[in-house]
Amino acid sequence: MKDAETINERLELVDANHKIRSLKENSAKVIGCFPLYPPLELFHSLGLAPVVLWGFKDSVKAVDSANRHIQGYACSVARHLVEFVLSDRDQVMDGLFMYNACDTLRNLPEILHCGLGETGRSLRIFKMHIPMAPEQQTRTSGYFSSRMLALINEIEQAFDVAFSLDKFRHSVALYRESRSLCKELESQVARGAMSYARYSRIIREGCFTAVEQHIELMKDVLKEKTPLPDESVSESGPAVIVSGILPPPFTLIDALENAGLRIAGNDIAAQRRSYAFTPDVVDDPCLYYQDFYLHHFPCPTLLFSGDKRIATIKNLVTATGAKGFVFIGEKFCENEYFEIPYLEKVLKESGIATLSLEISIDDDENSEGFFTRIEAFAELLKN
Amino acid sequence: MPEEQKEKTGHQKTGAGKRLSNIMLNDYMQLHQKAGNGAFVVWIAIVVPAELFSGFENVVYAVPESHAAMSAGKGVGPLQCEKAEGKGFSPDLCSYARIDLGTAFDGGKDSPTFGLPKPHLLVSDNNNCSLLVKWFDVYHREWGTPHFILDVPFCYESQKEQDLDYILLQFRDLIHTIETMSGQRFDPERFREAVQYSAEAMMHWKRFLKTAAHRPSGLTVFDSFVQMAPFLTSRGTKALTDHYRLLADETQECVAQGIFPVPNEKYRLLWDNIAPWHQLNKMSTRLAALNANIIAASYTYCMGSLEGEFDLYAYDGGDPLRYLARAQNFSVCPHGLELRYRSMQKAIESIGIDGVVFASNRSCKVYSIMQMDLLKRVTEKLDVPAVMIDVDHADARKYTEENAFLRIEALLELIDIKRNHSRAGFA
Repeated sequence: MKDAETINERLELVDANHKIRSLKENSAKVIGCFPLYPPLELFHSLGLAPVVLWGFKDSVKAVDSANRHIQGYACSVARHLVEFVLSDRDQVMDGLFMYNACDTLRNLPEILHCGLGETGRSLRIFKMHIPMAPEQQTRTSGYFSSRMLALINEIEQAFDVAFSLDKFRHSVALYRESRSLCKELESQVARGAMSYARYSRIIREGCFTAVEQHIELMKDVLKEKTPLPDESVSESGPAVIVSGILPPPFTLIDALENAGLRIAGNDIAAQRRSYAFTPDVVDDPCLYYQDFYLHHFPCPTLLFSGDKRIATIKNLVTATGAKGFVFIGEKFCENEYFEIPYLEKVLKESGIATLSLEISIDDDENSEGFFTRIEAFAELLKN
Repeated sequence: MPEEQKEKTGHQKTGAGKRLSNIMLNDYMQLHQKAGNGAFVVWIAIVVPAELFSGFENVVYAVPESHAAMSAGKGVGPLQCEKAEGKGFSPDLCSYARIDLGTAFDGGKDSPTFGLPKPHLLVSDNNNCSLLVKWFDVYHREWGTPHFILDVPFCYESQKEQDLDYILLQFRDLIHTIETMSGQRFDPERFREAVQYSAEAMMHWKRFLKTAAHRPSGLTVFDSFVQMAPFLTSRGTKALTDHYRLLADETQECVAQGIFPVPNEKYRLLWDNIAPWHQLNKMSTRLAALNANIIAASYTYCMGSLEGEFDLYAYDGGDPLRYLARAQNFSVCPHGLELRYRSMQKAIESIGIDGVVFASNRSCKVYSIMQMDLLKRVTEKLDVPAVMIDVDHADARKYTEENAFLRIEALLELIDIKRNHSRAGFA
């Protein structure tokens, strides 16, 4: 077991490239995946080290390379991702995987190909179409299986590996454990036993490290007897849910917690939406991932999940006793922004206060305006 | 220029141009009338194959994107956008969506067509853009209207057989859904006839567009932008076929008679993106004064073609459903960069393009985010000068004419420099 200080040091280190390089040093082939819900277990079972290319705000400080390839009205997720891949001069990744999620991201494979090509580099990019038609409308299982088998075949050929059901079962077990630990951490935050800031750092760590290491880290954290002295968590403050495609920047997380708000749950794509569900089926990767996507925690990027989203969020609010809902909007994320007016309306009708904040690429440096709004929101909830 | 020839030059409103207004008026009147008389109303995304609805006795369809384009053209785009923004929708969302939401939630007020009749079914299609699914989901939630999502895989390369089968499966499910909801039976023969009309209409459309190959061009892109409208509101009808036949015939006749929209055409340009609906007259007039003519657009030459192609994809009389599924990716947005480049290269070479205007459109990320690399490829590989200007296709508040023309004029200078170099014998 590592002591808290060591864990903290590790969590503060946010250079994603450095973290991914250490995976590579263990002689693993690294596959960078985007967006957030790739078939991680499958890649892991094939002997690859999957990393999730999301949330580079802390490790990518400028986007000069990206600016030569995509316009400034693309979201920060896309711009950071392009910058990260193009500035990876040592080619720490051996391949990329992407599936369909939004109108911006679907253009990225060829943009990355162009950008890498300018410096004589290339990277194999695997693409997969996840069916977005609702199951009650169209039986998508046949098409999905054909796409999944094609992906397995491509990976096998590209990396000279072979799929093994036993290894797949083992990988599923690891990711199941990892997701279970993520939920446990979230419940600690909800109880006020851990700060949301610390939880967010731990979850972020999972994007860029091996699942085995992430499990170890989370177990170590959960074994800690008491919260760290520097943590300012309110155990009795008003409970709120935070929602968005990215976690709030740490400056905002601090502002939320310093205002006495307790993050009782989250609807963050890179957090709860990613780990909320693991299928039971483990004997067939096609069936496993059909189940994985069809019963995934609703997300505006999974178009078929739209009908379940409102009810799921209302359930989350009820289950956690939240009094407020804080939407952290990623500027230019259309998938999220179409849903917000209706979501706010139904929450307000249920007596839940809402606060909508919009974050753009450089808003870490311009947070003062947000602080005032957060403090006012906290006052509202306390009264 | 001889006096006799002078009289024939300049932009002439053809019979097809006058007839267009009547078709659009008639389409929207019929839509409202039939809906009022109990027709089953479907709202569709722009690329949903509307010929399917012709297979039913009493199903009518409306295209919110087309209505939004018309609203922008009539100058009410910003007004409707502001209404949507007032309801909490972000100003960063697509301006078509904002116009439509603003119109719908204000009961059709300020719309040039009195809005659209309320739908019984929403049919979105994510191959043009996935945001359309989110946009239609707004109505689905607010009104409880069922929402059918056509899920069409993006094309990084030519359509795969498995993707085609997947699309076919969904078309059949859509037919079944309408049968169940409307209580009407689908008639395959009516449907086949509609597909034949559309296919023939596309043949005439391509004939019309090819008049751009003449020097000077027989058309401006602004003519083709406005003439797209009936393809969206009258798909699968004889009226559409007749209209596009007349349009092509008349344009060819004008060319034969020496009547050209920009007679002193010196610069032949290509436009890449959705039409700037709020600027059609202004932009065409100002360009003509510079002897510049935008003679083609990826937005218009994609109609009737397969992904990566420029020429017509003809209907061979086989399974009409399969034909529509194969042609489902016709519009530009579902195409990857490689395919877009391929069709643009064909357009540039076949009709003689001097320069390309890439309209970077913040309301249409799916069309725009890849243009920077496409621009580089066009300039480097094809040696065709190009510039990028900022536009918003329907929200005039996000467009600055002077900024756009500063760049367009720079493009014309680049073309002159290239010509001078060429004359001087530089490589």
